[in-house]
Amino acid sequence: MVFSIGGMRLAARTEDVWGVSPWTESIPVPSRTPFVQAMLKRDHQVMPVYDLATRLSRTVQGDPLLCLVARHADGPMAICIDAAVPSLETVDAAAIRPNISGDIDTLGSVTIGGDDVAIVALQRLGRLG
Amino acid sequence: MSLRGHHKSANVFVETASFLVVRLGRSYLALPADGVRGVLTPEEAGHEQAVTAAGTLYQPVDLAQLLSVVADVSGLEMRTVLYSNGHSHGAIRVEQVVGLTDVDRKTVLPLPLQFQCDERRWFGGMMLYQDLLVLIVNPSWALGELAEVIPMAARETARMVAVGGSC
Repeated sequence: MVFSIGGMRLAARTEDVWGVSPWTESIPVPSRTPFVQAMLKRDHQVMPVYDLATRLSRTVQGDPLLCLVARHADGPMAICIDAAVPSLETVDAAAIRPNISGDIDTLGSVTIGGDDVAIVALQRLGRLG
Repeated sequence: MSLRGHHKSANVFVETASFLVVRLGRSYLALPADGVRGVLTPEEAGHEQAVTAAGTLYQPVDLAQLLSVVADVSGLEMRTVLYSNGHSHGAIRVEQVVGLTDVDRKTVLPLPLQFQCDERRWFGGMMLYQDLLVLIVNPSWALGELAEVIPMAARETARMVAVGGSC
């Protein structure tokens, strides 16, 4: 799945994504974990928010913003993404290259529409050790 | 010392826990009610930081500072919660006392594992109260009794830095 944050295109494996829905206001939580300082309440479910935009020094764009719910190894985790509706792309596993940028934890990168797109490792995003 | 609402569980056979729900800034926090010794208005608490009540000295606890929360404790709804666990006593200033509630312990949720740093010592869990997300404060930490844990936490932080992350 290809999505964007602050205009920056990123990808995630579809099996690492629970769903995408409109973003709702998050609830601040006192926390010292980098980029995990809020939670999102949906019906009776509460999940942490990972501020990937700040992690990438970007500002999410558009209205209404969207919420990507990641299948994180520690449980569902919400990420605010641009309003641009994500798209599905099928890529050959052999086309995935190691990502050496080091900005975020990735599963590699792939060329989509002429852009080099990092595949975010959603399952372990934000893990400290 | 009046409270806004006391919502009791209808089923007395359900294992419940009582909490005093307070607000600091935009955060709603719960203190286990068994440690609450009183709730004072600004007039009752006086201008001193420490409060003496019924012969017990309650040392000031700046919970907003401990949590790095921006709070305004100069408003009319500000209250001082006298809190004790028997051997430590604290006067905790809050922006607002929201209410007292009994909750089924099964509805108390752990803090999600994605929270990995000091907040795991700050909060014993979380719950929903009147559609609000409420974080349950660990009284031992708030009263300063977890100081002996800090060296261990520092070692853990050092380990995390070594593997590529940091609190």
